[in-house]
Amino acid sequence: MRARSGGVGTYGLLVFVSAVVAFPFLWLLLTSLKTYPQIYAFPIAYLPRPMTGEHYENVVVQHNFVRYFLNSAIVSVGTGLLSVALGVLPAYAFTRFRFPGKRGLFITVILCQMFPQIVFIVPFFILLKAIGLIDTLPGVVIAYLPFTAPITVWFTANFFSDIPLELEEAARIDGCNRFQVFSRVALPLVLPGLAAVAIYAFLFAWGELMFALSFLPSQDKQTVPVLLSLFVGQYNTRWGELFAGSVTATIPALVMFVVLQSYFVRGLTAGALKG
Amino acid sequence: MRSPAYAEKTRGWRPEWSTAYVMVLPFVLVLAGLIAYPIAWNIAISLRPEGGRLLDNYRQILSDPLFAYVTGNTLMWTAGSVTLQFLAGLGIALLLNRGAKGRAVFRAIILVLPWATPDIVAAVAWKWLYNELYGVFNDLLLRFHLIGYPIAWLGDPYLARLSVINANTWKGFSLSAMFYLAALQGVPDEITEAARVDGAGRWSTFRYVLLPYLWPTIVVTVVLTIIFTINYFPLIYIMTGGGPAEATETYVTWAYRLGFTFLDFSKSATVSTLTFLIILAFASYYTWQFTKRQEAA
Repeated sequence: MRARSGGVGTYGLLVFVSAVVAFPFLWLLLTSLKTYPQIYAFPIAYLPRPMTGEHYENVVVQHNFVRYFLNSAIVSVGTGLLSVALGVLPAYAFTRFRFPGKRGLFITVILCQMFPQIVFIVPFFILLKAIGLIDTLPGVVIAYLPFTAPITVWFTANFFSDIPLELEEAARIDGCNRFQVFSRVALPLVLPGLAAVAIYAFLFAWGELMFALSFLPSQDKQTVPVLLSLFVGQYNTRWGELFAGSVTATIPALVMFVVLQSYFVRGLTAGALKG
Repeated sequence: MRSPAYAEKTRGWRPEWSTAYVMVLPFVLVLAGLIAYPIAWNIAISLRPEGGRLLDNYRQILSDPLFAYVTGNTLMWTAGSVTLQFLAGLGIALLLNRGAKGRAVFRAIILVLPWATPDIVAAVAWKWLYNELYGVFNDLLLRFHLIGYPIAWLGDPYLARLSVINANTWKGFSLSAMFYLAALQGVPDEITEAARVDGAGRWSTFRYVLLPYLWPTIVVTVVLTIIFTINYFPLIYIMTGGGPAEATETYVTWAYRLGFTFLDFSKSATVSTLTFLIILAFASYYTWQFTKRQEAA
């Protein structure tokens, strides 16, 4: 639908809605820059005066934030790469091959995206313990795969189906076999999409709390969400450090989302809208 | 990849099948090993407590008064979040669909920011907004004399439910808005033009032209939101921990507490299996709708 250009009213509404939506995060950012007397000022001190970076310093120096950040990065990169490695071939097979069982398998892929994590937590806990992967980063990566791999197949299949069939047929006429068509023609064309899909899986792992909280008891193995959750609730919450850590954890995710939103939206809406 | 010679001799077996099966095999193993097997195991764990009889867990859970209470909570949490996310999502999609300079910026703030914020960060940000003494909500309400004393948002059963639903609406509406916006952009110009030429006003254009067009997307999005909301754990876990006194406990937070606070894996698996059955029903409906539309296309 062609958009009718908006008037002043539209702008006013857009600015208002943006302000309301941005407020919780903006408030968190402002609080992270306040000293404790300001955080606990009554009535509220709305702007940080003076601005302080002490919580950012504390979270790094006293709470070993870098370790948690690195753990998060390792788990997330591992999840992203493994998901794509597992998902790319089936995605291609789904878009370009006919084979018995394809429909059933595809339905399974769609269904599996929606399964709750809670169903997996007890069996995974027992399983990871049995194979000695509890309290290890690879163990958590394995636990994330059932949630990232199906959606990877799903997204990637949509990117493959955007490639004009003629391109691949031309390559076959030129003597490429099916695998060469995949590796030399189709794969290079979906690489940007594939990177987006890997980052989508990366971001799932980056923010995940339930499994990380339960499968990583040792401090030196924990991820950023676990650290942040531990700031909450013991006697009193350390809001300053909590929010400094929160801002730092959100920035990379936010940047990736803003840059890649069109890929994410295309992948997701293809699921909801196609047809 | 050359198909093996025997494959060509087998009647009905086509060479491309072999290639396809080789391509999907590792993934199928993951599906079997990391999805089907754990789910089956979870069901097995739930069926019999240690030293108990078959289905003891189910008998105990289903007759526990807490089960009915948590069911009510889960219903309120889901109905509230889904309704508000639908309304906010659709309204904001309609707003963003109007042409305006600087749309990219508004989109980045309205659609991307809540979506990109990690769950835990959204949870602590809202927990702080609702803080009784130092939270913004109480401060604003006091400043404008709308309340006489600070409200314990997360300390009262009804307010706590409202508060987590409100926070969840913020976190989740952007996904719905994105689906609706994408659908709106697919509405052919002719039909809205035709409505306008016929003298339809804004409301009747929306009601009789856009809404029917959007309906399939709405159904699918709402079902998806129901599933995500029932499954959603971190917000409640961090904001209220299921409290006060279980007022915001849903199936998922209850199953988590049974397993990892009380270390009763068998009971936890029972609650999560029941949750799984509910999700499976919705997910099957979604998948059915979805494949139906794909095949129609």
